[in-house]
Amino acid sequence: MFNGASNLAEGVDKTFVFIFIIAFIFIIGLTVFMIYTLVKYSRKKNQKAKQFRGSVKLEILWTVIPLVLVILMFYYGWVGFAPMRQVPDDAMRITAIGRMWEWEFDYGDGKLSSELVLPVNKPVRLDLVSEDVNHSLFIPAFRVKEDVVPGYDNYLWFTPYYIGDYEILCTEYCGLLHSSMVSKTKVVEEDKFEEWLANLEARGDIPDPPGLVLLKETGCLACHSDDGSRLVGPSFKGIYGMERIVVSDGEERTITIDDDYLRSSIIEPDRDLVKGYNKGLMQSYRKELNDDEIDQIIEYLSTFTPEGN
Amino acid sequence: MVNTSQENYLEYRGRFKGLMGWLTSTDHKRIGLMYMYAIMFFFIIAALLGLLMRIEKIAPGQTIMDAQTYNGVFTIHGIIMIFIIVIPGLAAVFGNFFLPIMIGAKDVAFPKLNLLSWYIYIAGAIMGILSQFIGGGAPDTGWTFYVPYSAESGTNVMFALLAAFVLGFSSILTGLNFIVTIHRLRAPGMTWFKMPLFPWSLYATAWIQVLATPIIGITLLMVIAERTLNIGFFDPALGGDPLLFQHLFWIYSHPAVYVMILPAMGVVTEIFPTFSQKPVFGYGAIAISSLAIALVGYFVWGHHMFTTGISYWSRWFFSFLTFIVAVPSAIKVFNWISTMYGGSIDLKPPLLYAISFIFLFMIGGFTGLTLGALATNVQTHDTTFVVAHFHYIIFGGMGFAFFAGIHYWFPKIYGRMYSNRLAYIAWGILFVGFNLLYFPLFVIGIQGMPRRYFDYLPQFQTGHVISSIGAFILVAGLVVMFYNLIYYRRKGEIASANPWKGVTLEWQIPSPPPLENFEEIPVIKDKPYTFDNKEEKASTGN
Amino acid sequence: MNTSTAHTDHYDPESSKIGMWLFLFTEMFLFGGLFLVYAVFRNKYSADFHHGAHELNAFIGTFNTVVLLISSMTVAMSITAIQKKNRKLAVNMIIITIVLALVFMLNKYFEWSYKFEYKLYPGSPVMMNLPQGEILFYGLYFMMTGLHALHVLIGIVLLVVNIFKIRSGKVHHERFSLLENSGLYWHLVDLIWIFLFPLLYLVT
Ligand code: HEA
Ligand code: HEA
Ligand code: HEC
Ligand code: CUA
Ligand SMILES: [Cu+2]
Repeated sequence: MFNGASNLAEGVDKTFVFIFIIAFIFIIGLTVFMIYTLVKYSRKKNQKAKQFRGSVKLEILWTVIPLVLVILMFYYGWVGFAPMRQVPDDAMRITAIGRMWEWEFDYGDGKLSSELVLPVNKPVRLDLVSEDVNHSLFIPAFRVKEDVVPGYDNYLWFTPYYIGDYEILCTEYCGLLHSSMVSKTKVVEEDKFEEWLANLEARGDIPDPPGLVLLKETGCLACHSDDGSRLVGPSFKGIYGMERIVVSDGEERTITIDDDYLRSSIIEPDRDLVKGYNKGLMQSYRKELNDDEIDQIIEYLSTFTPEGN
Repeated sequence: MVNTSQENYLEYRGRFKGLMGWLTSTDHKRIGLMYMYAIMFFFIIAALLGLLMRIEKIAPGQTIMDAQTYNGVFTIHGIIMIFIIVIPGLAAVFGNFFLPIMIGAKDVAFPKLNLLSWYIYIAGAIMGILSQFIGGGAPDTGWTFYVPYSAESGTNVMFALLAAFVLGFSSILTGLNFIVTIHRLRAPGMTWFKMPLFPWSLYATAWIQVLATPIIGITLLMVIAERTLNIGFFDPALGGDPLLFQHLFWIYSHPAVYVMILPAMGVVTEIFPTFSQKPVFGYGAIAISSLAIALVGYFVWGHHMFTTGISYWSRWFFSFLTFIVAVPSAIKVFNWISTMYGGSIDLKPPLLYAISFIFLFMIGGFTGLTLGALATNVQTHDTTFVVAHFHYIIFGGMGFAFFAGIHYWFPKIYGRMYSNRLAYIAWGILFVGFNLLYFPLFVIGIQGMPRRYFDYLPQFQTGHVISSIGAFILVAGLVVMFYNLIYYRRKGEIASANPWKGVTLEWQIPSPPPLENFEEIPVIKDKPYTFDNKEEKASTGN
Repeated sequence: MNTSTAHTDHYDPESSKIGMWLFLFTEMFLFGGLFLVYAVFRNKYSADFHHGAHELNAFIGTFNTVVLLISSMTVAMSITAIQKKNRKLAVNMIIITIVLALVFMLNKYFEWSYKFEYKLYPGSPVMMNLPQGEILFYGLYFMMTGLHALHVLIGIVLLVVNIFKIRSGKVHHERFSLLENSGLYWHLVDLIWIFLFPLLYLVT
C-alpha cells in the first residue's frame, strides 16, 4: 500500500490513511446515530420530549477524545513532514528556475534543461528560484511541493525510487498560462543519467545573443513564438519590416514594423494594439527592462525579417 | 404578549412609499431583507460563473472560454462569493432581522449607521462588479490577490482591491453595531447566559469583524499604493517582501472564515431545539466554544502558507494550533446531535437542512484537518482538494445553514408558508448534486490536480466530468428551491405567529413582526430554551 | 408609548461611546498593520532606516507634535465647556483646535514639498535609486504620514460639523455625544502621531 515513488511518500500517505480512517468512523458513526435518533424519537411515535439540558461528564468526554485524536493527527503529520526539511549531505544539487510559464533546471556549468532528469535512488535537492512572480513546484508522485517565491531561497529534496516519467506542475497561481507551466521528471538508471548529462549541451559555451537571453528571462516567449504559431500574442516570426494593422485609440491604421514601433509595443503595449488582440493582455515592461535591454531586444528582433530566419 | 394593534413592518408606510420606503428605512427588519435580496442577486451571478467554470472544465483544453477569461472568472467568482456573499451573509441578513427581536429590543443600537452600512455594502459590491468592465479587463489574480502578480497584472486589479476595502468597511460597521446592541439593548432580565445562542454567535463574529478587518484594509491599501505609487513594500526588486503580504492577508482572512461559519452555527443551534421541542444540549459549551473559535482562530493563519518556505517551527506551531481550533467545532457538533436525542422530532425542511449541514460540515471539517497536517498539506495544498474543502464547508456549511434558516424563519418574515413538498424535493436534488459536484474534487486533488487550472491533464477528466454533471443537478435543485420561496412568499397559506412552537422571543410576536417588534419590552425570567418548565423541574429536580 | 410612527431615534450616550471606542480600535489596528510592516523592515534594514530617519527634519516633527498635543487639550476643554453650558467657549475652543490642525497640515505641506523638490516621492527615479531599505523607509514615511494627514482632515470636518451643531443647538449640555466622540477621534489622531513621530523621526 505504501509503495510511493519517493522516500517521502510513505510518511504522507500514512497520515492520509490515519486521518481518513478517523474521519470515516466519525462521519459514518455520527450520521448513523443522527438517523437513528430521527427515527426513534420521531414525533409520530414520541409526543413528549425529555427535558434535559446537558451533562458535564459528556462535555468533558467529547472535549478530551477529539483533543487526543487531533493531537495524534498532528503528530503523524509532523512525523511525515519532518524528513522533508532534513536534506542529506550527499544530495545532488540542482537549481529549479520558475518563470512565467516554464520550468528550467540548472545542473551547473551552464547546463540547462527544461526537463528534470534524475538518477534513480539518489537523493536530490532542488533549490528553488523565481525570476518573476510566485510559483510552486509540485511533483504529485513524489509528494513534494514547495513555493518558488522571488527574493526567497526555498528548497525541497527527495529520493526517487522507481524509473519512469512523472509530472511536474506549478501550483501557485502565476497568471495567464499557470496551467501550462508543466514539465516532466525522468527518472533513469544512473549510467544513463551520466550519459545524458555529459551530452547536455552547455548553453554557457555558445552564448545566446543578449536579446534572446532577455526574451527568455523576461518571459516574452511564453506569449510570442518564433515559429509563426499564435500563442497569446502574435508570433515574432518575420516580424521586422512586416506590415501590421493596429488599433490606436479605437482607430485602425496600417504601419510597418520598425524599431520605434517595437519599442512602443514593449513600453506601451496598449497604445497600438495589433488587430485581433485584446487590450491588457501584455503588460508594460517599462519597469522590468531598462533602455539598454530594450535596445538589445530590438536588435535581436530586427533579425526576424520576413525573408530571413 | 401577541399584539395586533400595530401595522406589520412589511405594510408600514412612512414618509415614502414603495421602493423608496425600503431604501430609506432604518428598520432593522427591512435592512435585513435588503441585504438578503442583494446577496441573492449577487449569489446568482457568482454561482452562474461557477457553472461556467464547470462547463469549461468538462474537457481538457479550451471548451467555452480562453485562459484569460477563465482566470478572470474564478477571480470574480471568489471575490463575490467571499467578500460580497458569505462574509456579510448570515450576520447581515438574519442577524439584522432577528438579533434585536431575539434579545427583546426594538432595533439595533445605531439604526442609521445600519442603513449606512447597507449603502456602503452596495457601493462596494457595485465596484466589484464594475471592475469587470472598465479599464484593462477583468482582474485575474484570484480572490487572494497574491503579490507580486497582483502588483503587476495589467488587468483592473485596482478596482477589485478598492471594492474589497469598501466592503470591509461595511463589515466593520455592522460588527460594531451588533456588539453595542448586545451590550446595551438586551431586555431586562436577559443576562448574558440567558441570551439565545444565535446572538451569542453573532457576538463572537462581530468581534472578529471589528478586530481583524482593519488589517486587510491596510493591506489592500498597501497593494494599491504598490500599484499606483510603486512603493514596493511587497516587491522583492525594491527590497520588499512578497511573503509579508501573505501573512497580512491571512491574518485577516483566516479569522474571516469564522466570520462565515459562526453565524451559520448559530442558526442551526436555534433549529435543533425547536424541532426537537427540547432545550439545547450544553448551552454553556456552545456559547463558550464560539468565543474559543473566535479567539484561537486568530493564531492559525500560517496554515495557508505551509509550503511557502516559512521556518520549520512556524509550520509546527501553526499546524498544532490549527488542530486545537478544530476541537470547539467538534464540541458543537456533539451538542447539536445530543439536542435531538430524546426529543420529539419533527423532520420539517429546516431540520432536514440543518442535519445536512452537520453532515457536510463534518466532511469539510475533516478535510480541513487533512489540510492542517503538515505532511498531507504538502500533497493537497493548492489542489482541488482545497477547493473541495472550502466548498463543502462554505457552501455545504454556511450555504445549507442559510437554507435552513430561511426555511425556518420564512413564516416569520413573510407571514406565509412555503410548500413543504417542494422544499423536500429541492433538498433531495440539491444534496445529490452537491456531493456529485464537490466530492470528485477531493479525489483528483489528492492525485495532483492543481487549483486555478484552466487546462488539465487527461487523467483527471473523469473526475471533472462527474463534477460538472453534479453542478447541473445542483442548479436544478436551487431553481426549485428559489421558486418555492419566491412564489409562496406572496401566495402561500397564512402562517400563524408560532408555526413550529419555538420558544425564543421572535416566536412570541405576530408574523410578520410589527414595526416596533414589541408593544412592551418583555421581561425575561426563564432560562433560554425552556419548553416545559414543569417537566424540566420534575426530571432534573431543580 | 408611540405606535406606528417611524422608529424613535432613541438617544443613549453610553452606546455611542462604546461604539466610538470600538471604531477607534479598528483605526488603531489599521495603523497597527503599518507598524507591523515597519517593524519587519526596520529589522531587515536597520542601517538604511537609521539613515532615513536622520534625513527627516526632527524640528518640524517635534513642532507638529506639540501642536497636536495642544489641540488635544483644547478639544477636551471644549467638551468641558459644553457640559458647563458655555456654548461660546466651546465653539471658540473648537476653532482653536481647527486652527492648530491647519498649522499641522501646513507644516506637513512644507515638509512634503521640500521632499518633492528633491524629486523624492514614491516612484520617482531619485527614490528608485536609493538603497532598498531607504526606498522602504520613505515608502512607509509617505504612506503613514499620508494616512495620518487624511485622518487629520476627517477630524477637521468633524469639528466643523460640531460648530454648526452647537450653533444650531443640536449639541448642548445634555446631548453632547457628537462632540465627545469627535473629541475622542481627535485624541486618536493625536495618539497615532505620538507613535509615528518617534518611529519615523527619532528612533535611529
Ligand atoms: C467557512 C469557512 C471555513 C471554515 C469554517 C474552515 C475550517 C477549517 N479549515 Fe479551512 N479554508 C477555507 C474556509 C474554511 N475553513 C477556505 C475558503 C480556504 C481556502 C482559501 C484559499 O486558499 O482560497 C481554506 C483553506 C484551509 C487550509 C489551507 C489549505 C491550503 O491552501 O494549503 C487549511 C489548512 O490547515 C484549512 C484548515 C481548516 C480546519 C482545520 C478547519 C476547522 O475549523 C474545521 C473543524 C471541523 C471539524 C473538525 C468537523 C466537525 C467535528 C466533528 C465531526 C467531531 C469529531 C472531530 C474530531 C475527532 C476532531 N482550511
Ligand atoms: C460562498 C462561496 C461559494 C459558493 C457558493 C460557490 C459555488 C460554486 N463554485 Fe466556487 N469558489 C469559491 C466560493 C464559492 N463557490 C471561492 C472562494 C473560490 C476560490 C476562487 C479563487 O481561487 O480565487 C471558488 C472556486 C471555484 C472553482 C475552482 C476554480 C479553480 O481553482 O480552477 C470552481 C470550479 O469548479 C468553482 C465552482 C463552483 C460551482 C460550480 C458552484 C456552484 O455551487 C454554484 C451552483 C449554483 C448556481 C449555478 C446558481 C443557480 C441558481 C439559479 C439559476 C437561480 C435561479 C434563479 C431564480 C429562480 C431567482 N468554484
Ligand atoms: C501575457 C502575454 C505576453 C507577454 C508575456 C508578452 N507579450 Fe508582447 N504581446 C502580447 C499580445 C497579446 C500582443 C498583441 C496586442 C498588443 O499589441 O498589445 C503583444 C504584442 C507585442 C508586440 C507587437 C507585435 C506585433 O506583431 O505587432 C511586440 C513587439 C511585443 N509584444 C513584444 C514583447 C516583448 C519584448 C515581451 C517581453 C519583454 C512581450 N512582448 C511579452 C502578449 C504578451
Ligand atoms: Cu507558475 Cu503557476
Ligand atoms: Cu484558514
